[in-house]
Amino acid sequence: MSKFMSVLLDDKRMEAIKGSGLEEKIDKMFGGALNAFTLELSDDKAKEVMDAFFSARVDSRGFITDVPIAFSRTLFEEIAKAKSLGDDVIDGVLARVDEIKEAAEKESEFLPVPEL
Amino acid sequence: MLQIETPPPHGGRLIERVVRDPELGRKWAKNCAAAYDIKPTLSDGVPIRNVYREIMSICYGFFSPVEGSMKKAEVERILKERRLLNDWIFPYPLVFDITEEELKDLGVTVGDRLLLRLKGKPFAILDITEIWRIDDAEELATKTFGTPEGNPEVVQEPFNAKMPGWVIYKSLKPVVLAGKYTIINEPTFLEPFDRFWFPPRKSREEYARRGWRTVINHQTRNVPHIGHEFLMKDAGFTGDTEPCHGIQVNAIIGVKRAGDYPDEAIIEGHEAVNLGGYIKPERHIVTFTLWDMRYGNPLESMLHGIIRQNMGCTHHMFGRDHAAVGEYYEMFATQTLWSKGIPSYGFPASVNDVPYGLQIRPQNMKEFWYCPVCNEIAYSECCGHTKEKQKFSGSFVRGMVAEGIFPPKVIFRPEVYKVIVKWWKEFGFPFCNAKYVKEKEVRLEVDLPDMDI
Ligand SMILES: [Zn+2]
Repeated sequence: MSKFMSVLLDDKRMEAIKGSGLEEKIDKMFGGALNAFTLELSDDKAKEVMDAFFSARVDSRGFITDVPIAFSRTLFEEIAKAKSLGDDVIDGVLARVDEIKEAAEKESEFLPVPEL
Repeated sequence: MLQIETPPPHGGRLIERVVRDPELGRKWAKNCAAAYDIKPTLSDGVPIRNVYREIMSICYGFFSPVEGSMKKAEVERILKERRLLNDWIFPYPLVFDITEEELKDLGVTVGDRLLLRLKGKPFAILDITEIWRIDDAEELATKTFGTPEGNPEVVQEPFNAKMPGWVIYKSLKPVVLAGKYTIINEPTFLEPFDRFWFPPRKSREEYARRGWRTVINHQTRNVPHIGHEFLMKDAGFTGDTEPCHGIQVNAIIGVKRAGDYPDEAIIEGHEAVNLGGYIKPERHIVTFTLWDMRYGNPLESMLHGIIRQNMGCTHHMFGRDHAAVGEYYEMFATQTLWSKGIPSYGFPASVNDVPYGLQIRPQNMKEFWYCPVCNEIAYSECCGHTKEKQKFSGSFVRGMVAEGIFPPKVIFRPEVYKVIVKWWKEFGFPFCNAKYVKEKEVRLEVDLPDMDI
């Protein structure tokens, strides 16, 4: 059974994917107040993510959760770059695994402040 | 009588033990037998409580009619019946605890006046009327909160080292100096706390000035999301012949745990609700009380009732898992205390329906969620769309904040979110990290003026 990952989209992220053709794949939450992508991962890719990140788990809906926050941020960057929601995006994220792990180690003490 | 009036303070008289004349304060400080520097209570080297917060809350009347560190007989009565020696109900022992070595060094005895210093400056005095020993702090801790056998109505699991209140009592030092406290050098609050400081005398004056006959309190230790805002708004319709005139937010400010929001963000976040006009400032006020949360659910709610009645509130909202941590207490334990009572704690009826009880009225509330069918923030006892509902899951909201996603208006008001980001910039983290927790207990919430003795 395939696994899923959710990527939340605020206005800034919506701007970054404008014209990518991904707009039609957006899911609406909270009555349309919150946008999100749902990625479907193949079994192989899901296993690679689970193996790379010790904290990751699969919830009752089949969603992979509890990955580092840096993972979620990187995941969006790769989606915006590849203009895709396929397995190639996960490859892009996994190629940056060292960078993610380095940021994740500091995550209990430091998180980058969002630009308003 | 259909209309409700402001209730009297708990115990009938508002306690105020603050010397405001510096000359008099200096004189009292001078004739003390010894001086003691207030230290935080530690557990494995980590600060978990600072008795200065209890001294402040007692001397400014939040805990009326309590006037000081308790005698042995009073602590024993509280553990048995949850009543002070003067019969008024009260949930927790409050003591000034030191070690045997400290007692030896101080050389004080009954009848002596002890000067208490905070941040190296004179702060308060303790007039010692009894010196007694805590034989077994762990036993005291367990008796303070109860056991599944002794309190089967509400306690589900034995308390242990993961329960902050239990750890506070277990970490008490063995010697108790009992007696009344008096603040002799009034502290000044650091920003942003200074503009939210409304001790009972002042809050009562403020509500009279605003013409608020009825005021409902909202307890908080959170930055308010929309679910909290709608709880306040909807519970605010409680009142008597009209909705409550005022909505008081009272934040509990004290020792933090990693992962909590910083106190500064909590208090300014609530202020942003009224500055943004979501509940206009004419109807909404943000205040705080200094207290290191014990997480005693129904017992904590009794203390909350005492604090807010003393502040002049007529009503108090209580949700599920009120002041709770873990699964120690049953989810609706607080609402049980405020509806039918908890006999094993000494209350065969609600705490406002027993002799020497409280007069503030409970408003026991269920849950709020977002409903896409109703297209509104819905109350669980109204909305029938249980399949479509979207709950304000704490971990979902926190995850969104941590990732730096600008939350939609149905989760956080933008003004409130901007407060989170403001303090995130200041502390490098949106929640309390280990550094914040440690530095806060050095900085505390106050500074003290110089006072030469
Ligand atoms: Zn509905």
